[in-house]
Amino acid sequence: MDKRNIETSPIAASAAGHEVLARVTNLTRRFGGLVAVSDLSMEIRRHEILGLIGPNGAGKSTTFNLISGFFKPSSGRLYFDGKEVTGKSALEISRAGLVRTFQHGSLMRSMSVYENILIGAIGGLPHATKKERAIRVEETAEMLGLGPYLNEVAGTLPHGIQRLISIAIASAPRPKLLCLDEPLTGLNQTEVMTTLGVFEKIRQVFGCTILLVEHNMKAVMQICDRIVVLHHGQLLATGTPDDIRHNDTVVSAYLGKRHGD
Amino acid sequence: MHKIFHNQQVFLTLTLALLSLGSLFLRDAYSINLAIWMALAALCAASLRFVTLIGELNFAIAAFYGIGAYGAGAALTVYNIPFLPALLLGGVIAALVSLVFGYVTLKTKGPYFLLIGFAFTEVMRILYARSDWLGGNSGMVGIFPPSAFGSYFPFFAIGLCSVMILALYLIERSSFGKVLTAIRDNDNVVLSVGINVHMAKVVCFGIGSFVAGIGGSLHGFTNNVISPGDFGFLLSTFALAYLKVGGENSPFGPMLGAIVLLALGSVAMGMGAGEHIFYGAAIVIAVLLFPNGLVGIFSWGYKKLVLDVRSKGEALHESRPAAKPLHKKEQVNG
Repeated sequence: MDKRNIETSPIAASAAGHEVLARVTNLTRRFGGLVAVSDLSMEIRRHEILGLIGPNGAGKSTTFNLISGFFKPSSGRLYFDGKEVTGKSALEISRAGLVRTFQHGSLMRSMSVYENILIGAIGGLPHATKKERAIRVEETAEMLGLGPYLNEVAGTLPHGIQRLISIAIASAPRPKLLCLDEPLTGLNQTEVMTTLGVFEKIRQVFGCTILLVEHNMKAVMQICDRIVVLHHGQLLATGTPDDIRHNDTVVSAYLGKRHGD
Repeated sequence: MHKIFHNQQVFLTLTLALLSLGSLFLRDAYSINLAIWMALAALCAASLRFVTLIGELNFAIAAFYGIGAYGAGAALTVYNIPFLPALLLGGVIAALVSLVFGYVTLKTKGPYFLLIGFAFTEVMRILYARSDWLGGNSGMVGIFPPSAFGSYFPFFAIGLCSVMILALYLIERSSFGKVLTAIRDNDNVVLSVGINVHMAKVVCFGIGSFVAGIGGSLHGFTNNVISPGDFGFLLSTFALAYLKVGGENSPFGPMLGAIVLLALGSVAMGMGAGEHIFYGAAIVIAVLLFPNGLVGIFSWGYKKLVLDVRSKGEALHESRPAAKPLHKKEQVNG
């Protein structure tokens, strides 16, 4: 937990204000008879790192897909950056400044690392010159420590580097909200530490807000300003890592115990 | 890395220029005709390859080639539009139809898209046969290039094919081309950073079809006669054969495949055998033994013969700035 104190500078802590960047209200999504997300309301504040956690099948991925426009909600409303975006396509939402990654392989395997990040730069700078995009790619690569790999084919690199490439692609457009879907899965402790440092840098230098869906509880507790816990598609708890850690309902949801047992 | 690509661009330009100019030295009518058919075959294969950038196999290429041929033919013989506008019109009509067709059908992928393309090709073929104003089953006659060309029409046709093959390659190298390749690799990622994937696919398809349409126009002007049977799905299949045999990873693949297979075919015709047997055998051999096609064999041979013989230090040092990252990889893993 010491790491958090080192990584989070006072500036970043104060920058994570209370201004709401995105908000979902009474969000529900049904798949046939299954209610994957039920009457969920939550908000994402500008410049914070928000963790979205919950046991398997809690509706994290569905929520993620709903927020990024890849699924349409059955009911409820979505607001992003001061506008209602309910029912908007994934393209419209990503152009509004919300960029997401994907759980399994969020990169172009046959292309070089440079070209991978370039795709993100093209998305963020649709009318820019080649030079401006090249600068963007290099800044991003530099920030994530991918500089030495720029000319390598992405698919041939180790898993940890591939995860960083995914994050580089997604952060190259400098999104207002960067949504990361389990970015730490399969990483060893060293790589997790490196990646958490990268999140902090992305927030501070690129000014992104980060929504993190993640199973690695230790990492989530360490990096997040606030945490939202889902269970059976419903909001179970929300609060700071300390609140969540000491919340009995959350503990029993994760450990399968009834409170008081 | 960038230097090699740059060289490839120069090399492709030179090759195409030489092939075009070389056609000026052909004297007998048979060779000249064969050269044009090779250029058209290479153009079809290049157009097919261009659409493979988004990961789709465009079996509708025969339809757009046919639309180009019938468009230019009808413009010239039915509406008396002059040669150059008629030629261009063939490509433009093919592109316009393909934009509508692509907009609707490119929501599907893989085998579904391929099958729709196949069906569209057959529908178009039947449509020509049933349209009396297009000559019906017997086809359209009298599609002549202007006499002012004299004996330079073959050079014009081959040159135009070369320019279009080069143009496709330049588009492939551009930022737009990178977006297309990225769509083939992972379309969701491309969409998630705010790029309109569907529109990019439609435009790619439109460009490929424009080129195929111009190819069809040239086909009409070369053969002077077109009939519905010329534009069946077999044409798409042959384009795929040229591409696979030549090698689809390189811009040289379509040219090499078309030239080699048509040369083989013409030899086979001379022996009284069906060219299709040769095509079949060539495809089987290429797919089983040379997955990267003839280009793959050449680049393998080049590496073996030239790079190995050359003093090792020099050649390898230049092409491997990877030493550092390899070291880092271990660090991260460990």
